[in-house]
Amino acid sequence: MAKVIPVLIIFIITFAVFKRINIYKSFTAGVGEARDFILSLIPTLCAVFMMCELMESSGITAFLTKALSPTLSFLGIPKELARLILIKPFSGSGSLTFLTDIINTYGADHYISRCACVLYGSSETVFYISAVYFAKVKVKGIALPVIIVLFCFLLSAIIACMICKVL
Amino acid sequence: MNGIFTVILIISAIALCIISPNGFLTAMIDGAKGALNCAVTLFCIYAVWMGISKIAEDAGLCQKISRRFTPFIKKFFATKSTGAAKDISMNITCNLLGLGGAATPFAVSAIQKLDSENNDFAKKLLFVLNATSVQIFPATVIALRASLNSQSPADIFIPSLIATAVCTVSAVALFLLFNKIGAGIWRK
Repeated sequence: MAKVIPVLIIFIITFAVFKRINIYKSFTAGVGEARDFILSLIPTLCAVFMMCELMESSGITAFLTKALSPTLSFLGIPKELARLILIKPFSGSGSLTFLTDIINTYGADHYISRCACVLYGSSETVFYISAVYFAKVKVKGIALPVIIVLFCFLLSAIIACMICKVL
Repeated sequence: MNGIFTVILIISAIALCIISPNGFLTAMIDGAKGALNCAVTLFCIYAVWMGISKIAEDAGLCQKISRRFTPFIKKFFATKSTGAAKDISMNITCNLLGLGGAATPFAVSAIQKLDSENNDFAKKLLFVLNATSVQIFPATVIALRASLNSQSPADIFIPSLIATAVCTVSAVALFLLFNKIGAGIWRK
């Protein structure tokens, strides 16, 4: 499995060489985009991190996880993932923050971290996408697709936790 | 996001007033510190992947893959516009390759083209597909695991593939089902 990344990169670079594009220029342009992206992310990151700190120190997190854990454990989801599941539909950078936090707390190869990683990859920021896609055009009855996507996200979260126990 | 932020700020401020009034400012500053640390880690990851994916994009790898999808997409999305079908297949290809940021502009452009032929069904279907994220290779997550000392960062590849497939397939199936039921009621 570890060979996937080098092989993918070899494939892309060989293809690019074959196409005679300026690889160095493309790469640095890509890194430039990464810089712009991260810089644009910093305000959100600050807000979300402050929010987390406040929630931790005021005991809201403890209260929420306690309130939600019966439902989640009934569905087979560890209670440590409650925050991630709650924020995922609203904020991409926010959920990335929680994901990093979970991996830092439990270690990258812990069961909880693996569940969190799979869960993070299984869907997108639903409300953000609906806002961007339908900003300029009017569509009737967008509520139903949103509900369907949220329901399937929960479903895939349950399945993610089950698979991570086995694999 | 605005609502959540405001509510959490007010509730935690009230709670901290009771528990430890000195903790409020410390928590905010600690938060900003954590944010910068996180931004540095993230930049390292994105620098690698956006660099590589830019090479793939400039070499025309995405166009090459997407060309094969176009006829199939015309049928599935019930659209007659070739321009929209092309945009949709570029969007799906970028998603599959994990280039989420590159996928969004194509989706927005496809939705505008679908709007001119009044195809609400295709617009919603495209939204469902994108919101459930069809991704083959979770590059960001794997890189994040590698940067935080995982023994085998690519471990989650197969579980991720299964979870994202379940999410996408079930959402599309439910959407098509509800759409059919809705159309049935409309006809009566």
